[in-house]
Amino acid sequence: MLLDLPSNRSESWRWSDLSALQALAEARPTGRVPDKLPWIACDKGVRLLFVDGELRDGNVEIGPLAIATSHPLGRLAGKSGWSLRLGRGHAPPGLVQIVHVSTGAADHLPAEIVLDDDAQASIVESFVGTGWTNRLTGITLGKGARLMLHRRVAGPAGFVSLIDQARLGEGASFITATLAAGGRDTRLDGEIELIGEGAFAEAAAALLARGRQRHDASLVIRHSVPAGTSRQMWRSVADDKAACSVAARVEVARGAQKTDGEQSLKGLLLSRGATINAKPELEIFADDVKCAHGASVGALDRAALFYLQSRGVAPDEAKALLTRAFVADALDRIGEEEVREAFYADAEAWFA
Amino acid sequence: MRPASSSIRTSNDGDLMLKIENLHATVDGKAILNGIGLTVNAGEIHAIMGPNGSGKSTLAYVLAGRPGYEVTEGSVMLDGEDLLEMEPHERAAHGMFLGFQYPVEIPGVSNVQFLRTALNAQRRARGEAELSAGEFLKLAREQADALGLDMEMMKRAVNVGFSGGEKKRNEMVQMGIIDPRLAILDETDSGLDIDALRVIGAGINRILRKPDKAVLLITHYQRLLDIVEPDFVHVLAAGRIVRSGGPELAVELEREGYGEMAA
Repeated sequence: MLLDLPSNRSESWRWSDLSALQALAEARPTGRVPDKLPWIACDKGVRLLFVDGELRDGNVEIGPLAIATSHPLGRLAGKSGWSLRLGRGHAPPGLVQIVHVSTGAADHLPAEIVLDDDAQASIVESFVGTGWTNRLTGITLGKGARLMLHRRVAGPAGFVSLIDQARLGEGASFITATLAAGGRDTRLDGEIELIGEGAFAEAAAALLARGRQRHDASLVIRHSVPAGTSRQMWRSVADDKAACSVAARVEVARGAQKTDGEQSLKGLLLSRGATINAKPELEIFADDVKCAHGASVGALDRAALFYLQSRGVAPDEAKALLTRAFVADALDRIGEEEVREAFYADAEAWFA
Repeated sequence: MRPASSSIRTSNDGDLMLKIENLHATVDGKAILNGIGLTVNAGEIHAIMGPNGSGKSTLAYVLAGRPGYEVTEGSVMLDGEDLLEMEPHERAAHGMFLGFQYPVEIPGVSNVQFLRTALNAQRRARGEAELSAGEFLKLAREQADALGLDMEMMKRAVNVGFSGGEKKRNEMVQMGIIDPRLAILDETDSGLDIDALRVIGAGINRILRKPDKAVLLITHYQRLLDIVEPDFVHVLAAGRIVRSGGPELAVELEREGYGEMAA
């Protein structure tokens, strides 16, 4: 099957490189699951293991899903996927951990997360392997519901595309942090709409790229009603000839007064051949809002490097220390300690 | 009686530690050091004085190996080894410490993390055992207490949000923790009130006034030298040592200024 993929002529795909996807779509999976999977030690909670898009282990409802999307990769997701629904006030303890293993081919899977009023969940998705993992996730949060959704992309090669479509009810919170620290290219898309007053959305990401790797992210946070708050914290690190691209937009609808939106996009270039693209956008149709955006791209602070070295820290270790500090802005947003430590461990492995 | 210049001294109490000969250096292609000669033995404190632009900070940076400071001529030996062949972190592992005139802020890296990384890197390089987190914190607390720096500040990012005086105290806390054999202190006294000066001066004496250690104390003013009494005073002008003497030279400079010597 020939994939119908967007071209670079389309503005939201201008920095993308999807050239590897056709071959991955035609590849055959090896089916070999690594011995060691990145489970986070946690007393309570649920574990789900998907291999090449099929549920291998764990208890979750799999069934027909209809998530409307116009996203060109999201449309590939298929009609059957997993579903997590929590009833009113339901807050199961521990983490919902989902490990997605790709064994070299392409797999597509939709998912829905529906939290009723005041329900609460903390989900960690880990992506390992070598193929193309394509995920479309529909998220609906009821009044006062609270979802923590943290993703980490590891694995030596291949591609991960994550398409999130979230709708947040009154006073709901959606907090997401993403770490891309393996060798896989990524395309991360998010559309988060605040449809209830006083909702809160936070998106943090640390994108680490080297070699010829590409991370490419596009996020829209749409404030449709008053008194919503949104925070974005993007930290991109590119070495060698790698590229990280982030397009982050905040839209404030005409009636969405008292919106409070912030976006911070920072890029760190570790070599001359590396590329960081940062495109922060604000589109505001209300007059009583507080929106701030900042974008900066630079190299490691030479004065800080020398300061560290003058105290005995070798150059590579000094670079790692400063790079770690750079991405800490994003990773420190993760509230659960065991999750944060696991993400840091992945980042440390990248720095080493 | 002390000889007029330590660079011509042949006999001494301590072992030869640092030997600078005919040192020339440029910054951005501009000649800043124009033939410095200086010998520092263990147990000695040398004050380097001189007007702005005379090359004092450049000398400090060249000795510490800052990129962009190019040595064009001359040699520097530390304990008989070629210092200029060493990377900055290797110089530190060999016992050299640079107290910065303008300590650098490092957002996102705590003082504790920074110093434990630095100390253990040095210890590894010297083949010594690393300190555990507990051992390190005990050491850090002792040194912070001695310099009057709140331990809570040690847990904060390096120098971020620190006042000028706190940054200088932090340099001395770092020095106390690292416990170097040769310290080059670049205007550690600048920007300090008299109380802070006393605390820092006492810190320098406590950490470095020892038979096996030495100090190059770069300063503009006599007042630090009242607390940390130098064995030798050198006057730097236009990238050369134009005069050397004992502590009385600093007093003379304080009274008469650099005018004639720098001319």
